Amino acid sequence: MAEITAASALRAALAAEDAAIYGYGVAGAHLSGSRQAAAEQDWEGHNKARDTLTAMIDALGAQPVAAQAFYALPFPVHDKTSAMALAAHLEDGVTRAYLAIVAVSDQRLRDFGAMAMQSSAERAAYWRGSTQAFPGLDS
Amino acid sequence: MPDILPRRRTLLASAATLPLLLAAAGCRSSDVFAGPDPLAGRPRPAPDVVTLAAVIAAEENLIGLYRTALAGDSAATARAHDLLALLAQHEQHLTRLRARLIQPPGTATEVATPRPSATASAAAPARVTIARLRAAERDSAAGLVRRLATAEPALAQLFASIAASDATHVTVLDG
Repeated sequence: MAEITAASALRAALAAEDAAIYGYGVAGAHLSGSRQAAAEQDWEGHNKARDTLTAMIDALGAQPVAAQAFYALPFPVHDKTSAMALAAHLEDGVTRAYLAIVAVSDQRLRDFGAMAMQSSAERAAYWRGSTQAFPGLDS
Repeated sequence: MPDILPRRRTLLASAATLPLLLAAAGCRSSDVFAGPDPLAGRPRPAPDVVTLAAVIAAEENLIGLYRTALAGDSAATARAHDLLALLAQHEQHLTRLRARLIQPPGTATEVATPRPSATASAAAPARVTIARLRAAERDSAAGLVRRLATAEPALAQLFASIAASDATHVTVLDG
């Protein structure tokens, strides 16, 4: 297997964060009350993560990927249930992206990826209503 | 046939050059071709094998804690549905970890740390509370992340995934 470079893994994580930021905007419109508040909190968290990743990619002398104006949704989102499923789906994508960072050789990046995927796995569990045995990995 | 001759020449030339290369490297040809010395004892396990065995032992201990909690603590038994789901995921972790550990017959006992049955009588409490499980999950997640430094990439990813699962368990046990 080809070695995953730090820059490519961080760029993939940034792309996942950008998709999550877009997706939470869609999901939040179909939520209310405490769930909407949770979606807003998660949306803010993904914005901070995007800024962190952008700075890390800059520090490596690499070019961050630009966010897209529009992301295709994995399924139609029209109510609370599908909005929560979308949030869980987005967090799964972020978790997979951070798991790829764990495969790079830089120890600090491995730790960073591992800690970040714990946060996204916790958010995914909240939205899904259940935990997974192997977040980020194919079960 | 014409393309065979150059290959034969290359092969013969390589055979003639090999002793010179070995001499330059300070080796005797018997060092290269003899293979492992059968009298030298078992080879030392690779670092990943030692790490994996320790993680397996820790996972076994965690499973032991859940079983003890489910068997005794009233608060835990009241939440048996949640705990059984988490226990099932720990059993999946253990299965996946054990599948990664391939050792020649007879070496497992040398590499593995004490099994839960051996440690249970000495260390495991008779009663395990939800708070104890929560602390154990938190310790497990932190311990797995600490092991990332020395693990090869695929194993590091498995450890990180299990650590993330353990972190979600902490949240469930908080509830």
